[in-house]
Amino acid sequence: MDLAIRDLKLHKGRFLATIIGVGLLFTIVLTMNGLYRGNVHEGTALIAHTGPDLWVVERDRGGPFNEQSSMPEFFHYSVAAVPGVEQASPFIYYPVERQVKGESRRFSIIGYDVFGGLGGPRQLTQGRPIQQAHYEMVAHEKLGVKLGDRIPLGLHTFTVVGLTREAVATDGEPLVYLSLADAQEFLFQRDNQEVRNQRERQRRSLVGGGLTPQEAERLLPLLAPDIHTINAVLVKLAPDADPAYVARHIQDWLYFSVFTTQEEIDLVVRGRLARMSAQLGFFRILLLFVAVVIISLVIYTFTMEKIRSIAVMKLIGAPNRVVIRMILEESLLMTVSSFLFGLLVIHSIADLFPRKILILAPDTLLTFAIALAGGILASVLGIWQVLKTEPAMALGGR
Amino acid sequence: MEALRLANLGKVFGSGHLEVRALDDVSLVINAGDLVALMGPSGSGKTTLLLCVSLILEPTAGTVVFDGETIYQNGWTGVDVRRLRREKIGFVFQSANLIPFLTVRENVLFPLDLVGRKGAAAERRVTELLEYMEVAERAHYLPALLSGGEQQRVAVARALANRPKLILADEPTASLDTVRGKKVMEMLKQIARENQTAVITVTHDARMIEGFDHVYHLKDGRLNNMVSSRYSILFSTDH
Ligand SMILES: Nc1ncnc2c1ncn2[C@@H]1O[C@H](COP(=O)(O)OP(=O)(O)O)[C@@H](O)[C@H]1O
Ligand SMILES: [Mg+2]
Repeated sequence: MDLAIRDLKLHKGRFLATIIGVGLLFTIVLTMNGLYRGNVHEGTALIAHTGPDLWVVERDRGGPFNEQSSMPEFFHYSVAAVPGVEQASPFIYYPVERQVKGESRRFSIIGYDVFGGLGGPRQLTQGRPIQQAHYEMVAHEKLGVKLGDRIPLGLHTFTVVGLTREAVATDGEPLVYLSLADAQEFLFQRDNQEVRNQRERQRRSLVGGGLTPQEAERLLPLLAPDIHTINAVLVKLAPDADPAYVARHIQDWLYFSVFTTQEEIDLVVRGRLARMSAQLGFFRILLLFVAVVIISLVIYTFTMEKIRSIAVMKLIGAPNRVVIRMILEESLLMTVSSFLFGLLVIHSIADLFPRKILILAPDTLLTFAIALAGGILASVLGIWQVLKTEPAMALGGR
Repeated sequence: MEALRLANLGKVFGSGHLEVRALDDVSLVINAGDLVALMGPSGSGKTTLLLCVSLILEPTAGTVVFDGETIYQNGWTGVDVRRLRREKIGFVFQSANLIPFLTVRENVLFPLDLVGRKGAAAERRVTELLEYMEVAERAHYLPALLSGGEQQRVAVARALANRPKLILADEPTASLDTVRGKKVMEMLKQIARENQTAVITVTHDARMIEGFDHVYHLKDGRLNNMVSSRYSILFSTDH
């Protein structure tokens, strides 16, 4: 005879109310799981999709995503000359905030060698890849532009020739692909007034340093800022090359830092995302704790209301295990139903969130296991009352 | 046949100057089919005696022999008393202590379930008991929907489920009016006669003990056998 189900049937209303309340707590816990996973997914999707064998970045920098990294463009020729390297391509990655269609938007610029280099978009949902050296762009659908739109960026106007959906920037914002030269000009070139001002400052400091104005005038072009800068070199290895060997060679002889794609992903996860993970982890523990406390209290009141019946059961000879099982089952039924309700809710609302909520089965299973342990813990208070109850209590008084 | 024997039973609560001698040298023998009433003023030890006989309280002195088995001897027991309770003793309480979330039927089935009697045979036994107690038409109700008298009859049915050797009733008529109280007492009598079950009932009400085999009176933990006749006369009560 299943005592737990019969008791809960009699208290349907309270049982359901508890399930809804605790279930929503579980929804929040699962949302946090999903938020973290979604962040990791979005934060690493670009790295994984670009997926070169090696990333070459500025020495001792965890760039280009986790930290700033910059190097002269021509170094990619040096990298290409390393034995075991089949292809080495310049790569620019740069988050910006600019006006797009009259709205201030955050997005990231990717500059790559559009004529066969690594690092471009792999799959387009519409249009074609960039085919000209200048003034064409491919944008992520999230940016909200259409094929053929003309978008002014910096000193020039770009035509949208393709749209993509495969990856977003590491901060979840859309990506804009440009040719390498366009990206360099957009990011590093200053407008004419700014160039004139800087030249004037430099002339004055040269003359102040003891040069004649004629000498200063001759030196000035050499001091002009070099816009031929990139953030990383992407390397594709020859089929039989040993990545560790090539990496060491580049580190030792060219004086750069080298990461595999997995290491690059780990850098981002350990760097920017670790703090968020800790934050969400703490919240999850707090919420699970609250859920266990609520279930404990509900089970405790359920038990206390039954205490006379429990005394009667013990008096007519029910072994403790029969009564304990009833309490434990009620607690677990409540926990499991709440969890399922929470799961149902999160699955039906996950798409409404502005950022990606990625629900992974292992996370859900782990949360379920913790919830189950919590359910058992929650019954402890009630079970303790059961053990304390004297059968004599059923016979009036004590 | 002897169902229960108490010899020189004593129960002391507390110690030193807080000591309460709740039972003092109580001896009695009850045979199968005996209908026994236990009377006495409040605080005289009736519930304590019942608890000792129920194998819930361990007496501090004396012997309890139940169904041929020595259960307590000078404060010692080596017997699984809960198993004895569920197999051989039936309980009826002051106010019907039915389990509120089980239907009438399930309440009677519960003690059968506890001793592992399930299936059609158990169901038949329940039907038989509910008919015997004249509450069969209430089988699928929850106890809260029954009148006090009906509830008490279901409680008696539950006590009878495992054909106990002994039925203990603590003021079973206290919460009932005279007519219904009499009816429950009649049923207890009938049970004692028909099933050869020993019945011990605590009561305050002298009008209820008509036809009892023995009436014992407790005072300060000591037992007097007031009357030992099948057709008793009225007693003065303690209130
Ligand atoms: N658990 C206990 N602890 C201490 N004293 C008790 C306990 N149970 C009963 N007593 C005392 O034993 C005496 C008999 O009590 P009880 O058997 O309940 O009497 P009755 O049921 O006849 O009213 C009373 O003086 C009571 O205070
Ligand atoms: Mg009493």
